[in-house]
Amino acid sequence: MVQKILIANRGEIAVRIIRACREMGIRTVAVYSEADKDALHTQLADEAICIGAAPSKDSYLNMENIISATIVSGADAIHPGFGFLSENYRFAQLCEECNIIFIGPSSRVMKSMGNKTEARNTMEQAGVRVIPGWNNPIETADECKEIAAKLTYPVIIKAALGGGGKGMRTAFCEEELENAFLSARKEALAAFGDATVYMEHFFEHPRHVEFQILADGEGNVVHLGERDCSIQRNHQKFIEEAPCEAISDSLREAMGAEAVKAAKAVGYVNAGTIEFLLENDRDFYFMEMNTRIQVEHPVTEWITGVDLIKEQIRIASGRKLSFTQEAISFTGHSIECRINAENPGLNFRPSPGRITGLYLPGGKGIRVDTAVYSGYEVPPFYDNMLAKLIVHAKNRKEAIRKMKSALGETIIQGIDTNVDYLYDILSEMEAKVLVE
Amino acid sequence: MNLGTMFKKNNYITVGGKRESRPEVPDGLLKQCNKCKAAIYTSEVISNHYICPKCKGYFRLPVNKRIEMITEPGSFDSWDEGMEVCNPLGFKGYEEKVRELQEKTGLEEAVITGSAFIGNNKVALAVCDGRFMMASMGHVVGEKITRVFERATSEGLPVIVFACSGGARMQEGMISLMQMAKTAAAVKKHGDAGNLYITVLTDPTTGGVTASYAMLGDIILAEPGALIGFAGPRVIEQTIGQKLPEGFQRAEFQVEHGFADAIVTRDNMKNTLLDILRLHKVKRIREGMPDAFVPTSFEQKADAWERVILSRKKDRPTGMDYIRELFPDFMELHGDRYFGDDPAIVGGIAEFLGVPVTVIVQCKGRNTKENIKRNFGMPSPEGYRKVLRLMKQAEKFKRPVICLVDTPGAFCGMEAEERGQGEAIARNLLEMSALKTPILSVVIGEGGSGGALAMAVADQVWMLENAIYSILSPEGFASILWKDSKRAKEAAEVMKITSHDLKKLQIVDGIIQEPKEYTRENMGLVIEQLEELLGKFLSECGKKDMDELLQERYERFRKF
Repeated sequence: MVQKILIANRGEIAVRIIRACREMGIRTVAVYSEADKDALHTQLADEAICIGAAPSKDSYLNMENIISATIVSGADAIHPGFGFLSENYRFAQLCEECNIIFIGPSSRVMKSMGNKTEARNTMEQAGVRVIPGWNNPIETADECKEIAAKLTYPVIIKAALGGGGKGMRTAFCEEELENAFLSARKEALAAFGDATVYMEHFFEHPRHVEFQILADGEGNVVHLGERDCSIQRNHQKFIEEAPCEAISDSLREAMGAEAVKAAKAVGYVNAGTIEFLLENDRDFYFMEMNTRIQVEHPVTEWITGVDLIKEQIRIASGRKLSFTQEAISFTGHSIECRINAENPGLNFRPSPGRITGLYLPGGKGIRVDTAVYSGYEVPPFYDNMLAKLIVHAKNRKEAIRKMKSALGETIIQGIDTNVDYLYDILSEMEAKVLVE
Repeated sequence: MNLGTMFKKNNYITVGGKRESRPEVPDGLLKQCNKCKAAIYTSEVISNHYICPKCKGYFRLPVNKRIEMITEPGSFDSWDEGMEVCNPLGFKGYEEKVRELQEKTGLEEAVITGSAFIGNNKVALAVCDGRFMMASMGHVVGEKITRVFERATSEGLPVIVFACSGGARMQEGMISLMQMAKTAAAVKKHGDAGNLYITVLTDPTTGGVTASYAMLGDIILAEPGALIGFAGPRVIEQTIGQKLPEGFQRAEFQVEHGFADAIVTRDNMKNTLLDILRLHKVKRIREGMPDAFVPTSFEQKADAWERVILSRKKDRPTGMDYIRELFPDFMELHGDRYFGDDPAIVGGIAEFLGVPVTVIVQCKGRNTKENIKRNFGMPSPEGYRKVLRLMKQAEKFKRPVICLVDTPGAFCGMEAEERGQGEAIARNLLEMSALKTPILSVVIGEGGSGGALAMAVADQVWMLENAIYSILSPEGFASILWKDSKRAKEAAEVMKITSHDLKKLQIVDGIIQEPKEYTRENMGLVIEQLEELLGKFLSECGKKDMDELLQERYERFRKF
């Protein structure tokens, strides 16, 4: 078992990982930027090392400094959390070269899944159903037109190195295509330094369903059911739930088996997520694989009872999975809301600053994962997620009501948040389930 | 609130053994950037053309990497291997030092020469490696450079030199100094035979190498941030007793001071070399073009003063707009090689209908900021000297010259006089009158006096309909003759400065029709005519014998 883990992240996920380590008797090393001297993760870990100035590129993305901190502190493993370096295969490679355990898959797998066209190709070859599309880079607008005609409109043009909704454009007819192609390329180049784009058929009203998998070093792979992440704003998820109401037991079995097949196809080890598009609540297509722990992992934890972070650490320590697929069952319904420091009235403008008053909900079936405390100053440099509010109840209706109630007693003063906005959405969801 | 001291921490008990091998950074995995001092991942530096991923600073390149980066795989053929290093002064320890370095670097000397293909262009190549005595030039380096030029001359190959050097090699004394003369003479012979020489100045290029073959390229490129100079910065600081400013003697400084054509990043180097090689091929326009461009007759209703106003309008297309529309693959070349680079004149090379041409354009700014940078289109002596330098190259490489004229006049300022504005203009008139390549000039806006004429001693001179071409601005004319600059409007009429007047006076050969309200948004009509004019000019002049062309050019101006 690893003895000491350096957490190459900040915020609630860093705290979440430190907590798992504390429970497992593993020493923790936090790394922090100059702006995070007073951050919760810095204070909760056994040791904390400053790795650079406030901008992420100088600190949480500074691979060399993080490696140095690992060596200096004597940690034997790094947990990358999500975001920052978590999907940077070069970082994983650097860890491998320095004999540091990277808690995640190998750099080879990360690289092949990080390139979306390559991931599509790999999956297609493994017999996993992918969205009808063109796997090769598209160079010219004419080529684009030819391919689009074969795929049937509407189509979506995506950046090969894409993510976060950047470098994506849809076209509903040939007239819109050239513009979509050019602007996708331009945005891809600006955001990822690479203008390579590919194309897929565009489903207009799909569900975004993802399957959590766990794989150990001995080739055992299980899935832990699905999460429905269909509620998004600007391609960013903000409400997630498990299970997905549209999925029957038999469909879950089929999709789960496909997810396991996908993970096996790339020789995946550790926790990962297979994203599917679900059309007409019946047809599903592989979309991409996330090679890290997800923000929304707590909903899966709650319905399965599995602690995903602890499983990640066990797998990284070379342990075999302690349970089989048959042992996994799903209980009740769980929903997560992401509470952000932002102002929905001002186009969701980020709202950093000092939290002057804080009251967080609690009680049966309510979990809050956060790194904020009263008096905490939210720095302007990083992602603006303040907390994840997660509820668990017998069924979806009760879970919605519990979430609404919990949001109703969430008080964060001093900065703007989306709590009221979330509350309104939950009210709508409640109204909808009551009608049904 | 300091929670850290209040949280209860675990008491850890370690059960079982620790991992056998501990994490460690293998030797060479990380290195420190010598510019920004940050730790960087070595393999990332290597895969990134030896550029620091953090500060974008350039590391010096091993010679084999350099060759790999710019040539076709496997095409490099090494020349003149196995030359013995001599010790003319009998300098103590020199031979041992050379042997030691040969073992350490695996190089015989500080330069590797040979031939290679870049695309489908065969070139002669000399690449210096700073790891070998800072690539200083002793007998072997000088000899290998000289032989490259000699062999390239006999085989008719372009030469590309990647220069990097501390200067002459002290251990070889005066023999080393003579290498400067020897290499320069070989460059001269190569150039006189009409061959292309490209130098790429890399960090550092100083001393006797700067003062010989490195600065003699037809095209001089430099890597970003490279130190380039004659005297080293330390020597200068000691001599003048002052600290040198940031950026002094860097590549950017050299471009600004007129000594390098362009700064080229490593990822663009091969493509830039390919473009330069392509644009230095001698090509004639394809046959079958009708001879002369005869526009249909037209005349917009406007009096002379109205045309003056139109020619100066803010939204009228500027030189850069024509470059963009007419020459999409234009490559700008900077500097006069004496003093500076004048942004009021933009010059370079491009392909037009498959024919390489030299394009020289007087440029006003499109807004106030750009106008300040471009000095409102008023060229300085260094601008005219850049024109001359580029024209001389056009002559050498048999490229026709296209000039677009748009200036209120040559810059009237103290600095311009100090550097010889009159001499610079006069020199252009003299050289252009006998330049052995076709020249076409088009006045696109204001043709202000001598400042315009210095780019209009051409085989054909055309004007846009609402351009003007004058001995002086109407304001100046009124002020000199009538002591009243307010009578400019009246002056404009009597001066005969419009396209239609000047056509009658045979000052210009033809007129290009403009749309009403001509702006950057509706250049189509003008561009179409210019394309036709250029195409036909190139075809027409391409057929002429050079003596005939020059005689006609002489007569064209002799008649006035």
